[in-house]
Amino acid sequence: MPFTEGFVSELVGRKATVDGLPIGKVADFLIHEPNDTFPKIEGIVIKTAQGPRFAPIDQVVDIEPDGRVELKLTPKDPAPSDDDVLYLVSDLLDKQIVDVDGRKVVRINDIELANTAGHLRVVAADIGVSGLLRRLGLHWIGRRLTPEMYRGGPRAMIAWNSVAPITDKNPSDVRLSVTESKLARLHPSDLAEIIGDLSKVEAASIVRQLDDETAADAFEHLEPDVQKSVIDDIGTERAADIIEEMDSDDAADLLSELPEEQRAKLLAEMNTYTAQELRELVKYDEDTAGGLMTTDYVWIYPHRTTEATVRKIRELGPNTEFIYYLYVVDKRDRLLGVLSLRTLLLALPTAFIERIMDTDVITVPPDMPAKDVAATIAKYDLLAVPVLHETGKLLGVVTVDDAIDAIIPEEMITHLPRFTRHRGHRIPQEAEG
Amino acid sequence: MATLSSPLLRVRLRSVLMFLSIVGPGIITANADNDVGGIGTYSLAGAQFGYSLLWLLIPVTVILYVAQEMCARMGVITGKGLADLIRENFGVKVTFWVLVLFVLGDLGNVATEFAGVFSSGTIFHTYVALISPYMLVPLVALLVFVTVTSNSRKIVERIFFVFCAVYVAYIISGIIVHPNWHDVLIGTFLPHFTPSKAYFLMIVGVIGTTIAPWQQFYIQAAAAEKGVPQADYKYTQWDVAIGSISCDIVAFFIILASAATIYVFNAGHPAHPITVSLPSDVAVALTPLAGKFASLLFAIGLLNAAMFTASILPLSTAYYVCEAFGFERGIELHFKQAPIFYSLYLAFIVIGAGVVLLPGAPLLGIIFYSQVVNGALLPIVLVLTLLLVNNKRLMGAYTNSLTFNVIAWATVIIVGALTVVSVVTSLVPSLSS
Repeated sequence: MPFTEGFVSELVGRKATVDGLPIGKVADFLIHEPNDTFPKIEGIVIKTAQGPRFAPIDQVVDIEPDGRVELKLTPKDPAPSDDDVLYLVSDLLDKQIVDVDGRKVVRINDIELANTAGHLRVVAADIGVSGLLRRLGLHWIGRRLTPEMYRGGPRAMIAWNSVAPITDKNPSDVRLSVTESKLARLHPSDLAEIIGDLSKVEAASIVRQLDDETAADAFEHLEPDVQKSVIDDIGTERAADIIEEMDSDDAADLLSELPEEQRAKLLAEMNTYTAQELRELVKYDEDTAGGLMTTDYVWIYPHRTTEATVRKIRELGPNTEFIYYLYVVDKRDRLLGVLSLRTLLLALPTAFIERIMDTDVITVPPDMPAKDVAATIAKYDLLAVPVLHETGKLLGVVTVDDAIDAIIPEEMITHLPRFTRHRGHRIPQEAEG
Repeated sequence: MATLSSPLLRVRLRSVLMFLSIVGPGIITANADNDVGGIGTYSLAGAQFGYSLLWLLIPVTVILYVAQEMCARMGVITGKGLADLIRENFGVKVTFWVLVLFVLGDLGNVATEFAGVFSSGTIFHTYVALISPYMLVPLVALLVFVTVTSNSRKIVERIFFVFCAVYVAYIISGIIVHPNWHDVLIGTFLPHFTPSKAYFLMIVGVIGTTIAPWQQFYIQAAAAEKGVPQADYKYTQWDVAIGSISCDIVAFFIILASAATIYVFNAGHPAHPITVSLPSDVAVALTPLAGKFASLLFAIGLLNAAMFTASILPLSTAYYVCEAFGFERGIELHFKQAPIFYSLYLAFIVIGAGVVLLPGAPLLGIIFYSQVVNGALLPIVLVLTLLLVNNKRLMGAYTNSLTFNVIAWATVIIVGALTVVSVVTSLVPSLSS
């Protein structure tokens, strides 16, 4: 075909012909895999006198430079229902998408198509002023402005490989795997900001596209009110799966924000061990050592050798939040001593833990205020401090990053409309180009 | 167990807490509704027709509730702004032309607010010679800009509530002028028609000024931003209902203030009637008729209303325009990051304040024609609202009930017809004779 590239807005409304005779007008384009790098166009919807008809892409003979689409045969099939497939015009144009590389939510003004190796593909989303003017039929204005203005800034066109549509529709009917969702490329805190920027319906549809682990990472960075509204939308079962994957201290904070009934339902969906652990953590006030602590640390018995301990860390480490200090406990979970990873690595492989551990441990009680916990950590230059019950039982550890989070003043929660709320655009990144 | 934990009490306590957390958008919006245009129209209604138009406030309250509830509901259910939904469902062209109209209309509204500042300045000038309207207008413009962009949400939110509270000034001034309560009751509960063109136009004016189109955008944004769970939507309904009623209570007392003084005086002195064209004329007339205190209260109320709306309107307009077209927006960004947003926002304030400062600026014309434009835009925004709110894909089970649709469409048809007639007769005066 001579067609090399063009915009959807330049094709929609153009004539569709068979043997040069008009049969209708181009109305829409169907794709199956919106999350592909550059999704293939699977067919064209033609608006005919009889209603919308669907022409599979192999029926397209040619797309002329003026936008006229020549077909082999007059299409007879009705267009597939909008509920099951994704259309460029009705589902993507004018809608919001996530620009994965620009790390923000943008609105699609136009969509660029190109003919690559015999396939018509979606190649880019136009989010600039030029796209708006083209849609308005005011393209001539753009040409008179300076090229920069015309292009509407540094990121007017976004290559489709960094576009993640915000839609619940999943035409291929295969649950998106981790690698398929472009959103998984985002840093969890960026993803959380994007989720916070979206309406709750959109936020929930984004979370549904993520695997449990990515969703859990993002959840840890979300504001409590956003967490709550997303949980309401995605349903108890999925929410429980995600909360299970979260760090236990963040999971407990989240659960403590929820009404009793909802919390009980969520805990009932989780595996018994995690649920029991979280039930314990939820009891503590959020601003105390108990509320800050995680139960996700490494504990060992004193009579192990260094070598056996290193093996245990290799085994547990990948799924454990905090491994830099190892806590030595007896059979009744009472804390005997602590051991840094450094000490462990420098010790002889045959040395026993009880010989090399430090028994003079700085600890805090579970009801110590967050501020004092942070001060303790700062004073003794610790990476974490263990939280002990009055009986000496080890309850959990507060890590330095959680302690810092707890003492930095939180963004004030406002009830004013969005235009007065922090939208969280990273300033240095915005200023580039 | 103890009465405190009785389920009934807990349910009640929860309801009260929920209501308090959700209340706000409706009350703020409805109060901002009694802006300079509103005060002008109500004063005029009272001055020309005494208590005989009071009955109109009851149906107007119902219509106001119906109109605002639909947008608040869309905000809660979709989590999106009205301009957002228009863009996503009607495309770029409709959005563009609708927003062009609304931007022009809102520009008129902002100028109206500053005309109110100016005319309240003339009143204050008679008390304190130092205050001149030519000083007050730039001062208010600066004040509005500085407070709103100061990015201190705590302060902004408090200021908004103070604005809401100062409306009590009108209730007091409506009472201390000693209205004839017997006539007030008759005028309120016995609908009464005077078959004259002036009376008919005044009905249109009151409806048009009470249900201001820009507020539909504002209330939806505010409701969306609150992130109210669908299950708690009933509290938002109460918020809107209380807001609508309180808005019209203030309107009621403004009508009383001018009816009990100017209308009564004019009835007694048909040879030398007091004419009212600007809202501040009422304040002037109140001095000899009801004392300095009533007059001052009225002028303070006017300045308050002007500042309140001038704080909200330019910002929300700039915001929704940028939202619909995907431009960077938000007051926490720098000018360079969100040039279009800031240009629009500044243009509103500079042009709005600048126009009234022009020597011999037609304040009356500004107020009058901005009300006419509001009236003309109302049917457009109502039709778009109705199409969106009845869209099952957007609203699911929350589309309008039949009763609601009947009331809303009847409003569109009646207001539309009234508007067309009044716009045509006011723009082409020769037709009306």
